Amino acid sequence: MRLRAVLADDEELARRVLREHLLRDGSIEIVAECSNGFEAVKAIHEMKPDVAFLDVQMPKLDGFEVLELATEARTVVFVTAFDEYAMRAFEAAAVDYLLKPFSAARLEASLARVRTRLGATVPETAAAHELKQASRRPGEFLERIVVKDGPRVQVIPVNKLDYAEAQDDYVSLRSEGKNWMKQQTIGSLEASLDPQRFLRTHRSWLVNIQKISRNDPNTKDTWLAVLADGTQAPVSRTGYSRFRELVGGHD
Amino acid sequence: MHPILTNGRWLAGYFSVWIPLGAILGIAANLAGRWSVAAAIAWTVPVALLLAVVCLAPYYVCRTLPLRSSAWTKLAFNHLVPAIGISGAVTVAGRMLTSGLAATFPEFGAGLGPSAPVLQAMFAMLYLLSVALHYAWLEMQASRKAEVLAREAQLRALKAQVNPHFLFNSLNSISALTAVDAEQAREMCIRLADFLRTSLRLGERTNVPFREELELTQMYLNVEKVRFRERLRIRVDVAEDCLGAEVPPLIIQPLVENAVKHGVAMMAEGGEITMEGRLKNGQLWFRIGNPFDPESPSTGRNGLGLRNIRERLASRYGNGARMEILAREDWYEVIVTIPMGRAGSGEMA
Repeated sequence: MRLRAVLADDEELARRVLREHLLRDGSIEIVAECSNGFEAVKAIHEMKPDVAFLDVQMPKLDGFEVLELATEARTVVFVTAFDEYAMRAFEAAAVDYLLKPFSAARLEASLARVRTRLGATVPETAAAHELKQASRRPGEFLERIVVKDGPRVQVIPVNKLDYAEAQDDYVSLRSEGKNWMKQQTIGSLEASLDPQRFLRTHRSWLVNIQKISRNDPNTKDTWLAVLADGTQAPVSRTGYSRFRELVGGHD
Repeated sequence: MHPILTNGRWLAGYFSVWIPLGAILGIAANLAGRWSVAAAIAWTVPVALLLAVVCLAPYYVCRTLPLRSSAWTKLAFNHLVPAIGISGAVTVAGRMLTSGLAATFPEFGAGLGPSAPVLQAMFAMLYLLSVALHYAWLEMQASRKAEVLAREAQLRALKAQVNPHFLFNSLNSISALTAVDAEQAREMCIRLADFLRTSLRLGERTNVPFREELELTQMYLNVEKVRFRERLRIRVDVAEDCLGAEVPPLIIQPLVENAVKHGVAMMAEGGEITMEGRLKNGQLWFRIGNPFDPESPSTGRNGLGLRNIRERLASRYGNGARMEILAREDWYEVIVTIPMGRAGSGEMA
């Protein structure tokens, strides 16, 4: 089976050794080589490759963020020099990875796994959000959220995120007066953000605590959080008690 | 809780030590008091058990009164008073036992036992022996802990010297070069070896001339140049007169490594790292600046290296040395000021 591959690594020499090994295999066609995360997302979006080789540390977007956005890649193999947390995450998620420097034999084994995966009737979807979460150190939270807007990538720093609202399989993210849609559950988004800064006020609402200007009583046992931009976010009874716990005192 | 009580095997071992001690006590009572063997056993077993329990008590006193740092008057008072009190209490308990068992063993009633002062002196001595053993044990624990801490510190220092990410990436560059440019692959091996050897050598010393630290930094950059090529640009401006300054090793090089890792390596187009060194008011002043991409994925793991350097400077110079960090929009700067002259004599400011 002929495989179409995208390579992404910011180091020219690292791409070169990967290319050399892949071309020796004879059945690989390299359709794009990228030197940063933005290029990788764009190339994967356009080329829809069978396999993408992603370096973990790259300018613009790291390998995990590329995985999150570049859903068009059928399989992904991470390439990294050393990052114990990333390696632990790969192990846990059974995602294939190559440790630099790697041997031709190790790359062959990796390609064999890719082929098995592609041949499977149900292609395994890598749980990108969970993988990214597992790669963080305990107590470390997301500092930014990446969203794909067509072929373009939008980076939202979490301090500029006002709130997130669940909408079916998506979350709608509100930042600087604009809405961005991202395919993710609100629960997994909540788990990746600092609980001291983001509060699940309601089953389908996650709100930046700093943006809450006041809480108005609504019906019995529910409230409405009024945000700086005037948005009214529903607050359930448990959401309200969590809010009181975090902010302390009366509001 | 006393550590012996936390472990079943230790507890069993402790009580088995009391079997010969109790036997000695029993034989002494048997000889001195002309008691029958059965009477001696009936009296000794509960008394020895009681002693075994009360001899655990010194642990708490010993722990709060370390042998080295406590005044001897305080030590004497805090151990002698419980010794007298506890031995007295055990003596009274022993006396109550003999009167209680007087019906079974007539010799108890006949006043044939060892005299109370003799018993109390024996008990007090056992208690003080236990105090001594506790101190010996605590001392052993402390020295073992110090050893572990020292080894950990050494390991951390070694780890800090050679960043594994850097090492594996460099090996990967060599792996790439072997096929296309064997000559350059060899050159890279030599550069990497130079850097590793020099950093190990400098790391062992307390002071190095600033010149040598700069050379080490240059060796590091020579390796990174191969990885990042034209993306990594360097500008060095160091005044001649500060090259002889004595500095602790591996302060500047890790800072430059940070500038590469979190700055230039995270920029698609790369950038220029600037290094400036001057003598200012008898102090070595050094500034490392690098551009960075404020939108780059957070590599957020640089706090540790900076903290390590800050701690090393503080433990060495107290408030005499400074490290300032300036982060602007897209420019990051670290300024280190180190006192000169008798710098490194270890004096605290």
